[in-house]
Amino acid sequence: MRVLRLLFVFVRVGVMSELAYRANFFVQLFESLLELGTALAGMAVIFSHTATLGGWRPDEILALVGVYFLVGGAIRLLIQPSMEQLIESVHEGTLDFTLTKPEDAQLLVSLQRVEIWKLTDIVLGFGVLAVALARLGTRVGVRQATAFAAALLAGGVIVYSFWLILATLSFWFIRVENILMIFQSMYEAGRWPVSLYPGWLRFFMTFLIPVAFATTVPAQALAGRLTWPTLLGAGALAGVLFVASRLFWRAGIRHYSGASA
Amino acid sequence: MKELRDIYVQQFKTSFASMLQYRAALVIWLIGHILEPLISLVVWSAVSRSSGGSVGGFSAADFAAYFLVLMLVNHATYTWVMFTYEYQVRQGTLSSVLLRPLHPIHSDIADNVSSKLITLPGVLFVAAILMVVFRPAFHFVPWAMAAFLPALFLAFIVRFLVEWTLALAAFWTTRVSAVNQVYFVAALFLSGQIAPLSLLPFPVRLASAILPFRWTVAFPVELFLGRLTPVQALTGMAAQSAWLILSLVLLRFVWRAGVKVYSAVGA
Amino acid sequence: MESSPAIRIRNLSKTFVVTKREAGLRAALRSLVHRRREEIRAVDGISFDLAPGEVVGFLGPNGAGKTTTLKMLSGLLHPTSGELAVLGYLPWKREKAFLRQITLVMGQRNQLVWDIPAADSFELNRAIYRIPAADYRRTVDELADLLELKPLLGKPVRNLSLGERMKCEIAVSLLHRPQVVFLDEPTIGLDVTMQRRIRSFLAEYNRRNGATILLTSHYMADVEALCRRVIVIHRGRLLYDGQLSALVRSFSAHKTIVVQLGDCQADLRAYGEVVSCEDGRATLRVAKAETARVTERLLADLPVIDLTVEDPPLEEVIERVFAQEPK
Repeated sequence: MRVLRLLFVFVRVGVMSELAYRANFFVQLFESLLELGTALAGMAVIFSHTATLGGWRPDEILALVGVYFLVGGAIRLLIQPSMEQLIESVHEGTLDFTLTKPEDAQLLVSLQRVEIWKLTDIVLGFGVLAVALARLGTRVGVRQATAFAAALLAGGVIVYSFWLILATLSFWFIRVENILMIFQSMYEAGRWPVSLYPGWLRFFMTFLIPVAFATTVPAQALAGRLTWPTLLGAGALAGVLFVASRLFWRAGIRHYSGASA
Repeated sequence: MKELRDIYVQQFKTSFASMLQYRAALVIWLIGHILEPLISLVVWSAVSRSSGGSVGGFSAADFAAYFLVLMLVNHATYTWVMFTYEYQVRQGTLSSVLLRPLHPIHSDIADNVSSKLITLPGVLFVAAILMVVFRPAFHFVPWAMAAFLPALFLAFIVRFLVEWTLALAAFWTTRVSAVNQVYFVAALFLSGQIAPLSLLPFPVRLASAILPFRWTVAFPVELFLGRLTPVQALTGMAAQSAWLILSLVLLRFVWRAGVKVYSAVGA
Repeated sequence: MESSPAIRIRNLSKTFVVTKREAGLRAALRSLVHRRREEIRAVDGISFDLAPGEVVGFLGPNGAGKTTTLKMLSGLLHPTSGELAVLGYLPWKREKAFLRQITLVMGQRNQLVWDIPAADSFELNRAIYRIPAADYRRTVDELADLLELKPLLGKPVRNLSLGERMKCEIAVSLLHRPQVVFLDEPTIGLDVTMQRRIRSFLAEYNRRNGATILLTSHYMADVEALCRRVIVIHRGRLLYDGQLSALVRSFSAHKTIVVQLGDCQADLRAYGEVVSCEDGRATLRVAKAETARVTERLLADLPVIDLTVEDPPLEEVIERVFAQEPK
């Protein structure tokens, strides 16, 4: 499929770009381990004072941490760098090169930059997930695993579409990079189950800045807490946002090329 | 002396102008700024709820008070010099720092204070909102309140001196980000930002008391909340003063060494 | 039988709406309530045809509308009015079949990936354009030969000089053997030797491959070396479309001498046409053949502080030449 073929080519470019900076791998590994250590130590402190957190058991919270690193890694690997590059290329005019290529422009800009060392976050996330799964034991069967995969996919699509919508704003506004920082800050909140937060914040984190679908919902699937309505809701939201972001992107391109709207 | 005053006034004007320019960035920064204490607050409130109302002497309302005051104390004492110098060393503009007739620390302090003054209204606004939403519980103790301001002032100076000295690592290596990371993680735990220090295991508390972390953030917070006895307060301020002298000495030493190293390598 | 033109433009226009902003706090506040809109006609009713295989120079001062026209031809901008067709396609529809046959090179803007060797950026384009392996090899070899790329391809692009980078940029844009090549100020910022090399490459490429080349520039020299036909645009309007030789006769017939004297009291009319004199800085326009002689006389007769000989700026010459020409 052409998406995979192009992804492979861009990953290759990403790898080659970074090979010259091998030391960056160790820096990244160090930073990721520090971040993981912080998360685990924080967990340790909390669970030294209580047996459950908002109804979540330690191994369930551990699964959440794993998902947090996994999804965070995927975002920082591909989605974030590509969208940041998109914003830059709109300002610098290098988007013109992309637009004269015989390939769908949205596809090209979404794959254009791969920060290959962020793989460490993904690997660490998988590692933590493996440990959590071992501890959750026999309670994770085929049903939970498929629900998890589905929730992860939906979450990924939601986060991607959200970032694309934000980045597309740069066709109209100049300092959009700052808005992207909001997501970064809010994503931090995704380290804990969304149910802990007060109602208004929970709404914000679910529908306005979709952190909940990125981390809590997939973790709920693994912990066997995911209800059908939530999963279906996630799928529906993913579909809606994907279409909406595509339409918004096309509007952005029309604006950029001075087409009478 | 007049030179110094001019620098501070000039820096204030510059910071104000650039803040006005980057209004959007400020709002976003503010949002990020409130999320930190908010997340900790929410998590620890949940902990206290599932432990029958309180944990280690902190109820949900106490946690709210703690993290709210922590946010304000943090805002008063934090610095960004380590990032500035890291950036400058990457851009190759570190040499211009050395060429200034006045010690560079003055313009850094001026930038720090003026930026904080400008963002203070925003932070207070956020604090007001948090107070309304989370209803923190305050136990005001008059003498502690009186001691709070000098303690805060000392905390600011010590933290600034320590972080400024650490920022000078830029003179030795371009890879300061790794050094900075370690410091920030340590600060996160040891200065009471993850949880009140009394809730952390003993080794951590010990480390935070030996290192400056407790004295630059956690101590003023605990003082304000009235959680310290007069003896503890006095020992605290003594520790702060000790660290003040120590950090001045360290700074002088590292600065001289750094200048020598950097000039030897060449800009 | 005449083959259809590769590029066909009739009465093409592009108007931009710009909000007028003035300096000062009061103006800024006013603009919150009432925005003054201004229409700028970047391109104003131009028409021309390019036959397949032609190499045409699109000349004009900054802001004349060259880049806007090029962007419309490559599908990046929607025209406001008029007809245009490139290889029979409507560019702004951006059909894949169309995009596969054109290419755009922009001076001072890179599509090459910064940190990797140019050869790997080539591979990236190969994948995007789906160039078959055998064709790709052949094209790369030919381009490497013509542009002397062999020593450059393995180096990361950030390690190349500006000129070397431009050569690679041109190469990467030609990998898919486009039939129409748009170049927007490709030699800007390059030293004279490199400019010459790129021009001769483009000429050779056109000879070998018959690609239609439209090149914009504000350097006369670019066009002199490369194009028999030149189109001059100014303030969005076409001023001249024809043989370069005729244009050269008018354009390059004069030189500008700028001489710095103590004051403007001396009467310089004997030396040439006096364009201006301010604070002792006099600008003279003399026939090219006379330049050496006039310079000699100026230096001998007057207390000259400084003297430079320049080509007349394009804007000035265009205004002058075409203001006088009966239309």
